[in-house]
Amino acid sequence: MISVNVKFFGPLREIVGEERKLELPDACTGDVAFEKLASSYHGLHKWKPSVRLAVNLEYVQFSHELHAGDEVSFIPPVSGG
Amino acid sequence: MVAVTHTPIDVERIFREIATPRSGGIDVFVGTVRNHSHGKRVRQLEYSAYVPMAEKLMAEIEQEIKRKWVIESVALVHRVGMLQIGDVAVVTAVSAHHRDAAFEACRYAIDRVKGVVPIWKKEYFEEGMAWVVGQHEVDVQT
Repeated sequence: MISVNVKFFGPLREIVGEERKLELPDACTGDVAFEKLASSYHGLHKWKPSVRLAVNLEYVQFSHELHAGDEVSFIPPVSGG
Repeated sequence: MVAVTHTPIDVERIFREIATPRSGGIDVFVGTVRNHSHGKRVRQLEYSAYVPMAEKLMAEIEQEIKRKWVIESVALVHRVGMLQIGDVAVVTAVSAHHRDAAFEACRYAIDRVKGVVPIWKKEYFEEGMAWVVGQHEVDVQT
């Protein structure tokens, strides 16, 4: 098992809160992490098609493999400017 | 020079910081808070950011610009927190030897900031509020 920190921003923060520590199987992908969160926070489901995955401050594919201690975030569509 | 800041943006100071003796032109885009959105009157806007990632991506955009155009200096600054109508929300500025590069790079800078940097806008109306999600808004359940 590995443990990662998941941070939430914008509209997702209102569904999940600021940060969650997630215990995941080894060699787990971002996709699996999202599904695990979405099973606890049902409001997350509808965001799946629009969020991007960020690991250690970089955008990566949902198929990206997570490692112990990674800082993970699911980034809703941005609206700065 | 890139920054996400809680304090009001000093446009004049940014201008002075990127001005160099070799610059023949400085293009400054100033994004401000407007009082309407999709036909509704906006009272104020709240910006929030994933600050370390936002600053990292802004630094990457700065490097992209330096690779694409012959320029002197770039500044990308975005404010976060509760902003009022007319407040400066974002500044992108480019100094260059010639105006074509300054205009093009400055336009690219604001488009990239709006497109990829993890910053979010929440609109507060006379009644209710909404997150702006990409180009759309989503009413907040209350």
